[in-house]
This record gives sequence, structure tokens and C-alpha cells, in this order.
Amino acid sequence: MTTHTVAERLQQARRGVGVAGAGPRPRREPRPGRRRLSARTITLILFAGPSMILLLLINLYPLLYAVMQSLRNGNLLNLGPWVGFSNYLRVLTESSFWQGALFTLVFTITGVFGSWLVGLAFALLLRTRIPAGGLFKVLLLLPWVVPVVVSATSWNWLVATPQSPLPILAHALGLGNVLFLADPVLAKVTVCVFKVWISFPFMMMMMSSALASVDTNVYEAAKVDGATSWQSFRHITMPLVSRSTYVSWILMTIFCVNDFPTIFLLTGGGPVNATSSLVVMAYRTVFQNFQTGPGVAIALLMTLVLVIVSVLLYRQIRKVNIE
Amino acid sequence: MTTTGVAIEPDSTRAMVLYRGGKLDVTGARGQWWRFVLVVVVTAVILIPIASVVYLSLLPALGSTTSAAITLENYGSVFSQTNLLFWLENSLGVALATVIISVVVAAPAGYVLSRVRNRFVSGYALVLFIVQALPVVSAVIPLFILFAKLNLVDNLAGVTIIFVGSSMSVAIWMLSAYYDSIPITLEEAAWMDGCSVAGGFVRVVLRNSLPGILSTAIFTFLLAWNDYLISVVFLRSDVNYTLPVGLETFFQQNQTNWGLVMAVAVIMMLPPVVLFAVLNKYFSVGGIGGSLAGR
Repeated sequence: MTTHTVAERLQQARRGVGVAGAGPRPRREPRPGRRRLSARTITLILFAGPSMILLLLINLYPLLYAVMQSLRNGNLLNLGPWVGFSNYLRVLTESSFWQGALFTLVFTITGVFGSWLVGLAFALLLRTRIPAGGLFKVLLLLPWVVPVVVSATSWNWLVATPQSPLPILAHALGLGNVLFLADPVLAKVTVCVFKVWISFPFMMMMMSSALASVDTNVYEAAKVDGATSWQSFRHITMPLVSRSTYVSWILMTIFCVNDFPTIFLLTGGGPVNATSSLVVMAYRTVFQNFQTGPGVAIALLMTLVLVIVSVLLYRQIRKVNIE
Repeated sequence: MTTTGVAIEPDSTRAMVLYRGGKLDVTGARGQWWRFVLVVVVTAVILIPIASVVYLSLLPALGSTTSAAITLENYGSVFSQTNLLFWLENSLGVALATVIISVVVAAPAGYVLSRVRNRFVSGYALVLFIVQALPVVSAVIPLFILFAKLNLVDNLAGVTIIFVGSSMSVAIWMLSAYYDSIPITLEEAAWMDGCSVAGGFVRVVLRNSLPGILSTAIFTFLLAWNDYLISVVFLRSDVNYTLPVGLETFFQQNQTNWGLVMAVAVIMMLPPVVLFAVLNKYFSVGGIGGSLAGR
């Protein structure tokens, strides 16, 4: 009978071996070439299993099917005949696709940085002691909490027709007839502002929790050393929240590029195609023009770019984290 | 010389010091009032769209006979004129089922992500991340065809499954981030006492993870409650609508009757708002950052 130190038993416990019995059991060496899975490994596989099955069924299977659809000329129910890459060629040579890509880029950049700036400003404002700070934190989360169908309805009431409150206000201020959703440029601006309005609370939460983990003593020290508040923000706060910032940018980029309801419920992609981001364009091509092949091709081209960009960024933050 | 057996956790003492620090007081009392005024004014402007929903829902409807300035009659009308009760029931059922299934599936998976470091788990983390980046639009049609064969179109169970699938990545990240804050020494003690890995997970980790679980539950509830795209494609008959589809359809039919439309809108936003008002201190998305970057 060998005696085992605590550390050795812990090692075994981690492997899930022989912890329950009176003592360590003598174990046969596994035969070479046939490694047997330990109880722990089996448990862990069972732990992750259901989520993997779901991901395969709900996310990866549709992706593969969509790739097939994009290579064929079918409709909603049939795959249709094989056409090779002609759907992609057709989509890539249409100017509307590039306009949609450009708007997606504009929408994403304003969505990410606009909501980040507003969210960070609120996170910084609410970090200091102000009366009823907790109440404001909850109130400011409302744009993110309220369903987008509700907020789109309300924004429609505010801006959609010449009889709406904001156009009337603009008229009273001598700006003439401002048509927020009928003018192509203004419609784009309105959609972007709407997106920032919806998303800044998410950024506020991300940045608040990043700021909460910054040791406040550092600021005292900086103050003693004569740092201005801008200097302590620039050289203490920003570096310490940089990782959360990168992560929030990546997540928000994904949210913005894939955002369908925010745009569709406010403008439907119009006027004409002015606010058709690639997602909205894909939806309209498939469900309004019933051209499954080209529609899915648009969605997949967008996905490809998005996945490449976000995997590169993902590696970048992991590198930052390790250093 | 005596040595006590009390183990000191450096991490936990540091965390306590940080929390004891409380709110930051970088400016003096004089700097406070303008911040307060700024926050009040900007918050008020930001809340105009939400406040106007509530206000409009309380105005008398077109052709109403009441002389009161504010009335609840729109609420009575929408319940009698539409299938609102069905929509509300469907939305609640779908959202609660999504929450329960998501947490049950994501809780053990998050444990694997939090405690295991090898190339399989790194690969799985990357798959989760890529899945999160896939647009729902391209997945909707294949799923529609698949679900048509399985009789899951125009079926609330069908949309629930899709909601669970689309909340999976974030749910796993949030839970694994929370598990990271539970010291592994607790489980090791349980293992030493003869607990299995599964037993240690349930009795030690899960029992200490209520805030993480609540956070995940709130997130998945919002996702299921607020979704529009999946519901509009998969739900076909009026009695099967969830609130977003119901509201949008009703809005298309009653563009000018804002009082009625907004009454439905208020009913729709009430559950998530109440949920947040009660549970907001448990909700944190900050953990996602560490969980994404950490492995």
C-alpha cells in the first residue's frame, strides 16, 4: 500500500480517478494505441454535447444549406437547377449591391462608434456620485430594453409624416419641410441615429463594468502627482478599459452588420434602396422578389467578410490579453 | 510560534477593497450640480420616444365619447378588437421556455469553457464566436424548409428552438464568465470529499452562480421577447402570433389610430421593463468581455 500526498490525490481527483473509494485503486496501464476516456472527460463531453447539437442544427446546418442555395437558381421550397457562381457574379456586378455595402459600412461605423462614445460618456458621468444615480442607470437602459418593434413604432410617430412632431418642430424653427424618412440622405441619418439610440445602453453597461474594475486609488495617486483630469482619463482610464473597448467594438460590429429589424421596421429599406443594408437587401430579394439564389448569395458574401474581419479582431484581442 | 489553518485568498481580499472603494469622487462637491443637470436633461431627451408611447396610449381614441383628457379605454378596445390576449400568452410562453432551455443547455457547456484548457475547447470557443457572427437572414430559409418537414412552421415550439439556438453563444459566454469568478479550490475540496465532476458542478458551482444564471436568463428573455425576424417568417396564423408580429400587423392596419397601436406597444414593453426594474442589479454584460478574450 502506497501512501499518497494530498497533491497526488488532488491530481487524481482532477482526472476523476479513484476519489470515492477507500484508497487509490491499483490501475492497469491502458494498452498502447487504445486510450480510454476518463470519467471526467466523458462528463465534460456530455456537458458540452447538447449545446453542440443545437449549434449544428440551428446554426451550422442552415449555413451549409444556404451555400447550396446560393449556387442554384431555386425558390423558397425547391433548390432548383445548378447555376454555379452566376448568382454571385450577378450580385457583384449590380451597383445596388455596392450601394448596400457602402450603407452597411456607414451604418456599422456610426453604430459602433456613436453608441460607444455616448455609452462611455454616460458610464463616466454615472460613475461619480450624483443624486438618484441608480435610477438614471435604469432609465438609460430603457432604449435597449424596450422591444425594437415598439421603439420603431414610436420613432415612426415622431418623424414619419409631415404632420409628425419633429417635422412640425423643424418647420416652426424655419427649416422648411423636413422629410426625415422620404429624403434619401436624411433617411440614412435617421436610421443611424436610431441605431445609436438603441445601442448606447449596451455600451454603457460594458464600459461601466470595465470602469468599476479600475482601482480608484490610482486616480488619487495621479492627482497627487499633478495630473489633469484629461491626463488621468487618457493615460489611466483608457488603457485599463481598452480590452473591454475592443470586445465591445467587435460585438457591436457584428450586431450592426446583422441588424435587420432596426432598419426594416423604421424605413423598410427605403426610400427606394437608400437605407437597404446588405441584410435588408438579402431579405427583400428573398421574401419580396422571391429570388432565393441571389438573396442568399448577398447574405453569404456579407457573412464571409464579417467572419474574416471579426476573427482577425478576435485574435487581436486574445493577443492583447496574453501580453 | 503558531500557524493558523486559515487560507487567505489574495483575489477575494483585493476585490473587497475595490468594492469598499465604492463610487469614485474625482471632483469636489462644486463640480456635481452641472453633471446632475446634464444627466437629467439628456436622459429626458433620450426618453421622449418611450414617454410618447405611454402618453399616446392614454389619449382618447378617434371618435371617442369621453370628455376626460386621459383614459384607459384604448386598452379595453385592443383586448376586445384583437387577439392580444393570445399574443401575450404566446410571447410569455415562448420567452419563458427559451429562458429555461437556454440556461439548462448553456450552464454545463459554460462550465467546460470555464474550467478546461485544451485545443478542443479553444476550437469550440472559436466556433461559438463565428456562430454569433452568422446572420439570421441566411439561416431562416433553410430552417424554414427543415421545419416545414418536421411540422414546426407556424408552431411556437419551432420558434423557441431557434431562439435557444441563437442565444446559445452569448448564454455560454455569460455563464462561463461567471464561473471564472468562483475559485476552483471549492470544487477541488468537493472532489477530495468524493464528489464526481458532475456532482461538484451542481453542488458547488451552480449553487453559487445565481447572479450569473439570472443575468443569462434576463438576456435570453429579452432576445426571445424582442425578436421580430424569426417570428415574422415562422408564425403564420393570427392566433399563433407573438407580440412583435401582432403589433406590427396591427400597426399596418391602423396607421392613423395611434392610441390603439400605442396601447399594444405599452403592453408589449411592460414585461421587459418591469423585469429590468426589479432585477437590473443582477444584470451584467461586462463578463462577456473577459470570456471572449480570455481563451
